[in-house]
Amino acid sequence: MTDVKDIVARIDQLEPVPPTAGRIMALAQDPDSSMSEIAELILNDPAITANLLKTCNSAYFGLNRKVDSVRDAIGYVGLDHVVQLVMLNSVCQNFKNTPQGYGLGEGELWRHAVTSAHLAKILAGKFGRSRHKHLIYTAALLKDIGKLILGRFVAFSFEEINILVNSKGYSFNDAEKQIIGMNHEELGALVGQKWCFSDKLIYIIRHHHLSNESAREDLETSLVYLADIICMMMGVCTGADGLSYRFYGDVLNRLNLAEKDLQAIIAETGENQQKIDYLLNLI
Amino acid sequence: MGQTQTNSNAVALMTAVNCCEMRISTNPVETLVAFSIGSGMGVTVHDPVCGVGGILNFVLPDSGSAKGINPNRVPFMFADTGIPAFLAALVALNAQPERLKVVVAGGAHIMDQTGAFNIGRQNLAALKTCCDAYNLKIHHENTGGSSSRTLSLDIGSGCSSIKIFGQGEEKV
Repeated sequence: MTDVKDIVARIDQLEPVPPTAGRIMALAQDPDSSMSEIAELILNDPAITANLLKTCNSAYFGLNRKVDSVRDAIGYVGLDHVVQLVMLNSVCQNFKNTPQGYGLGEGELWRHAVTSAHLAKILAGKFGRSRHKHLIYTAALLKDIGKLILGRFVAFSFEEINILVNSKGYSFNDAEKQIIGMNHEELGALVGQKWCFSDKLIYIIRHHHLSNESAREDLETSLVYLADIICMMMGVCTGADGLSYRFYGDVLNRLNLAEKDLQAIIAETGENQQKIDYLLNLI
Repeated sequence: MGQTQTNSNAVALMTAVNCCEMRISTNPVETLVAFSIGSGMGVTVHDPVCGVGGILNFVLPDSGSAKGINPNRVPFMFADTGIPAFLAALVALNAQPERLKVVVAGGAHIMDQTGAFNIGRQNLAALKTCCDAYNLKIHHENTGGSSSRTLSLDIGSGCSSIKIFGQGEEKV
C-alpha cells in the first residue's frame, strides 16, 4: 500500500481553481443576490472576465453584437451560462491534462467531465431543486479531479486493482482503496478542502459513487452519481475503470425515475453531443 | 483521427465512429474505430467480395422509447432505426446480406444493474431481433460485463478487433 501522505502531497501540483469562481457560484445560488453583485464579483478577477467575454463573443453563442461588459454577458447569454462558463474556464487547465492509469487519451477526462456536467444540468432541471443547479453542475464537472493525482498510483498497481475488480467483484473505487489506500473520491474531497470548496461540494465529490448509504438519500449527490453512470453507459470517454461501479436502483426509484426516463435522458444527451463538442472546442 | 504513412504508395487512415454514428468505407487502407463502447453496441459488418465494410455505434434499443427525440434526426442512436439504415447504406454499395461478416461488441452494464435498467442487455436483444429479421448471422460477439470496449474494423482485411483495457485484444 502506498503512503497516503505521498499522494496527498501531490495536490499542490494541480492548478488551483480561483477562489472567485467559488464565490460566484455561491452568489448565483443565493436567491437574495442581485445580478450587479455577481457582475461586480466577476469584474474583480481580470482573467475570469477576459475568458468570459472571449467565450461569449465566440460563434458558439452566435450573438449579433459584441459583448464588451460582464453585465452584457449576463444579459445576453443568461446568468446560468455565465456561471457555467466561469466554472469551465476555471477548471479546464487541470482537466486537459491526461492522467496516467485510467487508460484515457488526450482530452478524454475533460470530455467526460463536461458531458457529465451537461447531463447533471439536464437532471437537475427535471428532477432537482433549481436553487442548487450550479452546485450540481460544478460537482459533476469536478467529481473526478482526484483521478488527476491518483492516476500514477493506479498505473503502478493496475494489475492488482484489475484482479479485485474482475475476479473478486470489487467496484473500481473500492479496489483503489484496498490496493492504494485511498480512492479518487477521497482524494478529490481533499483537493476540495485545500481549495476551500463549500462543504456541500466536497461532500458530493467525496461520495459521488454513493458507496456511503446516507449519500444515497442526498438529492444533489444522487443527481451527480446519475450523470456519471449515464456517461459511463453511453461510453463517454470511459477508461480502464469502464462501468465498474455499483448501480443503486433505489436511488432512481427515489427520484421517481423509470427506465423510460433513463432512456430519454440518454437520447437527449446523444442529440446534444454536437453542442457539447462545440463547447469543448471553445474552452 | 490520424494518418500514418505506411509506405510510399498508401496512407493508413483511422476514422473514429462516435456514439450514435455509423461509418462505411471501401478504402482498403482505412480502419474504422468505435472507442469506449459502454452499454451501447458496436457492430462491424464486412463484405469480403466487394470490399465494403462499416461500423454502427448505437446506444439505445428502441426509438419509440425516447420521448421528444425525432429518430429521423438521429437514426443511428437506436437499434430499430439504425440497423436498417446501416444495412441499406451497405447494400447501396453492392454489399449482399448473405456474404456479410458481422461482429458485435458492447452491451455492458454498471455493476449490479439488473432488470429493466440494464439497457446493455436490451441493446443486445434488440440487435439480435434485427439481425434475425434480416437473416444476418452474427459471427462473433463480445458483450456484457462491466468493461468498456474499443471495436475496430480493418476494411482491407475485413478483420475486426475488440480491445478491453487490461484484458488484451481479440481479433476476429
